[in-house]
Amino acid sequence: MTPFQRYLVTKSAWYLLAFFLAIAANFYLPRLIPGNPVDALVARMAAGGGAEGEALRRIYQHYISEFGLDRPMWEQFLVYLGNLARGDLGTSFSVFPAKVSDLILRALPWTIALQLPAILLGWIIGNALGAIAAYRGGWFDRGAFVSSLFVSSIPYYCLAIMLLYGLAVALPIFPPGGGYSYGRLPTLSWSFFLDALRHYWLPFLSLVLIFIGGQAVGMRSMAIYELNADYVNYARSLGIPDRRIVAYIFRNAMLPQVTGLALSIGSLVGGALITEIVFGYPGIGTLLFSAIRQNDYPLIQGVTLLIVIGILLANYLVDVAYGFIDPRIRAVQAGER
Amino acid sequence: MQPVLTVENVEAAYRLPNAQEVRAVDGVSLSVMPGEVLGIVGESGCGKSTLASVLAFTARPPLRIKAGTLAFDGQRVPLTESERVPSDWRGRLIALLPQGAMNSLNPTLRIRDFALDVLRAHEPNVDRRVAVERARERLQQLSLPPRVLDSYPHQLSGGMKQRVVAVISTLLNPRILIADEPTSALDVSSQRALVHLLLELLERRIITSVLFISHDLPLLSNVADQIAVMYAGEIVELGATRQIVRTPQHPYTQALIRSTLVPERTIQGRRIEGIPGQPPDLRKPPPGCRFHPRCPHAMERCTRERPPLELIDGGRVACWWVFERLRVVPSREGSDA
Repeated sequence: MTPFQRYLVTKSAWYLLAFFLAIAANFYLPRLIPGNPVDALVARMAAGGGAEGEALRRIYQHYISEFGLDRPMWEQFLVYLGNLARGDLGTSFSVFPAKVSDLILRALPWTIALQLPAILLGWIIGNALGAIAAYRGGWFDRGAFVSSLFVSSIPYYCLAIMLLYGLAVALPIFPPGGGYSYGRLPTLSWSFFLDALRHYWLPFLSLVLIFIGGQAVGMRSMAIYELNADYVNYARSLGIPDRRIVAYIFRNAMLPQVTGLALSIGSLVGGALITEIVFGYPGIGTLLFSAIRQNDYPLIQGVTLLIVIGILLANYLVDVAYGFIDPRIRAVQAGER
Repeated sequence: MQPVLTVENVEAAYRLPNAQEVRAVDGVSLSVMPGEVLGIVGESGCGKSTLASVLAFTARPPLRIKAGTLAFDGQRVPLTESERVPSDWRGRLIALLPQGAMNSLNPTLRIRDFALDVLRAHEPNVDRRVAVERARERLQQLSLPPRVLDSYPHQLSGGMKQRVVAVISTLLNPRILIADEPTSALDVSSQRALVHLLLELLERRIITSVLFISHDLPLLSNVADQIAVMYAGEIVELGATRQIVRTPQHPYTQALIRSTLVPERTIQGRRIEGIPGQPPDLRKPPPGCRFHPRCPHAMERCTRERPPLELIDGGRVACWWVFERLRVVPSREGSDA
């Protein structure tokens, strides 16, 4: 086994351990919330006036054993693990009897389509802006820095609400919410795509602007640090063109930024909870929000499991990717040092 | 014979955040003949490296060039307007061999790719193989193995890095090489190898002249044809190496030579003397001659008037005491400073 393979194996083992611990926490934490989903379910039935008394109690008992809530915690956990291994995330309590995996699969494309382009575009533009601002200096730097700092310090929901008011209410250019118009059904047609695109701009803008700002601020300070490095001065004295030097700086200042990128992609699933809620976007964020409100354990667990997997996977990839960006880290990974 | 490079009246200052200025180089003029090694010597903080970065066109804020012209083969450009310096002058006509080669190489770039970038900057159509071949030849002359080309800087030892930097700096066959303390971080045998390389490149006419900046007077006296002595941002004495070492005129030069170890029998047992006092604060240089607070021969005139750099015995000296002793009448009047 080469040292690099050994490095990969140890890293993988650590991530598997972290994954197992995360699953355990993921299982226990929702169950620590006081209250019981079956209470809510049965209460809703009683309010509907369908059943009462003994019948209600029987229904209650039935649900409790159906969901396995009467068995001891460790047994429930083993059942949960067994189901998980088969890819079964369980049945939703709140949208009974829809399967959790179906609900998630329906919401996931919306979240990914909203966030992935926003994160990637924001990352590229933000980092390029930060590197160029640091390199050029002067008024360009001051303008870019101050506006980036301003934008990045606005909370997501504030910018979302400001955009919503400005571009959907005061100037009704874009629709105020939803992923598509009322009364339409998601189909794979050209007219549906255009309709969805019109609804897409506002949430997209509210995410991408803030992301650009945050990345630019971080990249600028990293790049200023790199700019004062001797190699920049030396490259400049040799007449190497500015765009090449910016590329050097960009690459060397990028390491912490890559972590940022991977973590944002990893936390993409839960990242835009508030944006999705403000714009009524039919993604994972909205799904998680309603699941929490209704004590829907399986759905909460399903979504948080997705978040955990995303973050762990992203971190794992960052660890490996570092080696490709920085030969010094590659040397450490390969055991040369 | 015409000088290759003439610089006149260079003034450069660092601007402090409180708008004060540190006048690191003040009114320096010098010329370099073809085939010549011009040494610049002086203690730390006398403006040697600042002069190097001005002449290598790498001055960046807070360093500002306030005055000065640079003439190359009869073509004159003002140093104050960096955009008027022809783009191929950097690296091709004047190249910098930087101080601290340890950090002068980009840590994430292979030596091969850096060499290629340097050549491409001046010969956009250079063939990749031709470029790498040229670098390989030069590396071999410095007894570096060809594998260095495929290495990253962290895989090289300090001495190897210094030699690699020497190769890169001379890769474009620059007319003038500005070597800024190139040997300071090296042990004596690497120093010797580097000096030999420079002399060999000169002999083979790959480079025309060298400006060798150092605080190491014994080393410089073995390398340089002429030596300029800098004190507090000014040149106080300039002349042939032999003349400077054997019959120094300026009290500062005399003190500098008295304070170095000379392993010669006739001088054995002599006490090494230091120079009393501290170099002046360049935010507020003393009026008149800048050396007068530390000078054993200071006269009343020295505290008032700045001595001009006068031609004496083929060399140049700026000192009222010398003028009086040799009954020289300065052709230019001393200026109040």
